[in-house]
Amino acid sequence: MIEIEALYKIFYEQSSNPFYALKDINLTIAKGEAVVISGVSGSGKSTLLSIIASLDRPSSGRVIVDGEPISKLPDIHASAYRARSIGFIFQHFNLIESLSVEENVIAPLINSRLDMTTIYSMVKRSMEVANISHKASQSISELSGGERQRCAIARALVNNPNIIICDEPTANLDRENSILFIDILSRLKAEGKSIIIATHDPLFDSLPFESRVIEMVDGEIV
Amino acid sequence: MLNSPFFSFLTLLIFKQKTKHIGVVVISVMIIFLLSSILFISSSLQQTLQKNLKNQPDIIVSSLKAGRSVDTPIEWIDKIVEIDGVESVTPRVYGRYFFTPNENSFWIIGVDFFDEQSNQNLKSLIDQVELREFFSTPSMIVGDGVGEFMRGHFYSDSFSFRLPDGGFKEVKIAKELLSSTNLIANDMIVMPQELAREIFGMDDEVVTDIAFNIPNSSEWDNIITKLHLLFYDIRVVDKREMIKSYRGLYNYKGGLFLVLYLVTIATFMLILYQRYSMVYSSDRRDIGILRATGWSIKDILKLKFYETLIITMVSFVMGVVLAYGYIFVLDAPLVLEIFLGGANLANSVELVPTIEFGLLGSIFLIFAIPLFGSVLIPVWRIATTPPKEAML
Repeated sequence: MIEIEALYKIFYEQSSNPFYALKDINLTIAKGEAVVISGVSGSGKSTLLSIIASLDRPSSGRVIVDGEPISKLPDIHASAYRARSIGFIFQHFNLIESLSVEENVIAPLINSRLDMTTIYSMVKRSMEVANISHKASQSISELSGGERQRCAIARALVNNPNIIICDEPTANLDRENSILFIDILSRLKAEGKSIIIATHDPLFDSLPFESRVIEMVDGEIV
Repeated sequence: MLNSPFFSFLTLLIFKQKTKHIGVVVISVMIIFLLSSILFISSSLQQTLQKNLKNQPDIIVSSLKAGRSVDTPIEWIDKIVEIDGVESVTPRVYGRYFFTPNENSFWIIGVDFFDEQSNQNLKSLIDQVELREFFSTPSMIVGDGVGEFMRGHFYSDSFSFRLPDGGFKEVKIAKELLSSTNLIANDMIVMPQELAREIFGMDDEVVTDIAFNIPNSSEWDNIITKLHLLFYDIRVVDKREMIKSYRGLYNYKGGLFLVLYLVTIATFMLILYQRYSMVYSSDRRDIGILRATGWSIKDILKLKFYETLIITMVSFVMGVVLAYGYIFVLDAPLVLEIFLGGANLANSVELVPTIEFGLLGSIFLIFAIPLFGSVLIPVWRIATTPPKEAML
């Protein structure tokens, strides 16, 4: 379960004109729940996701995941939390261009202390779920937008996280690939993963699985 | 450890980004090559020199008049022989002979072939000479440089020396020394003392100087003091001073080179630094991605540390091996000329392979510390920024 309490993110905090990216966010996401955060660009969706994933820190307030406060963790613990619990799918995929699909998917497990056999079986499984196994040895630069997205999904799933966070996941995809992506999300939801999606894609208005929609405007949940 | 997922990923990254690393390796190899070359050449020359100087007489005594070098009376020998602890007292006749057409000069060493020699180099030389043949006609033994010079001027069998009275003296070339003695004997001519006296126009009562050995080295200073008490105007040169002055000469040349190379290295370091700065944008993004997927700052620093270590080690080994080949296999073309510059005859010294591991270690540190700094400090700065910012 994810509990967010009185969360603020303020930029230029010390200046005379501070910018409130997030204002008094209070939100609870149950285990296995799917939440769609909608809102226009600049409404604070991505900032909220970054804080939940511990990629950024809030100015004040708390994020508690499965009873553990994660918003002020030191780097070593925050990294361990990301490696253990979070699968993040970015709008621009954020893949390492010089590596192949398989090598990108393997990256989150390198410091996991698992042996190579276990790692490769996890990578294989994850690529199968994301339907990208046939491109395993292909370089990222040779992939289409949809294939890059599936590689990013495989990487996000490889550590078998409980929370899947997607930031504008279909912004760079055509309709066909977007539907394929939603299909993968359905399967993940069926597996009991918590899914948080920030998007303004209308395709997410009628998802084939149960979901809660949250609207954000100017850093606030409305 | 080496087949752990971490090291597999590390080698993968190095091979996948080889175009970036090849440039760095090439520049690094050049730096290591330059530094190691200087180290190899100076330590090899010093070792050869030390080996040669070890065979020199322990003490050389000559006469001065108001500080000016003059011929030494041969009668001094009788007094020197009487000093306890002195051995192999040898009167020496030598001097520079100028070959005016070419403005070259050779050292002529006059030797009494039947005397006990204080100079072990000369002794081993004389042992190789067939004396009967040597004395049947005026003959000489020449250094490698002298032999080459004479052949170049069509004196392949003998050479005619100009005498002080205007006449000429033809002397046969009986033997040419090996190039391994070049550091000391390249421009040397060894001949019977009487012949040397004739060429220099010296009387039988004088010699250039008197050399001798002192087997007990703790007695050196005592005997030098006794010599100063025995003779009023005297110059005493001991082997320790000779070694020190030769070492100083080559250290000075090595130092000069080091300054030049430091300038070069500074330039290379700047290029290296710039090269790394250029790849920062892609590196920055990759670091951000790894951080977002659960890598800690420590993991990132560990990855970059080992990556730099591998590149540094590869460059170091390649640079040292190349320098070794250049100095000891190819005999250091160009650089050796500068080290031996000042000799009036072309000198081709045989460089004995010498490796000083302590200095090689210093070179590694001199090179590696700035390189590690130029990589790890920016990486640390990137790794500590929020991953979202780094990925932009």
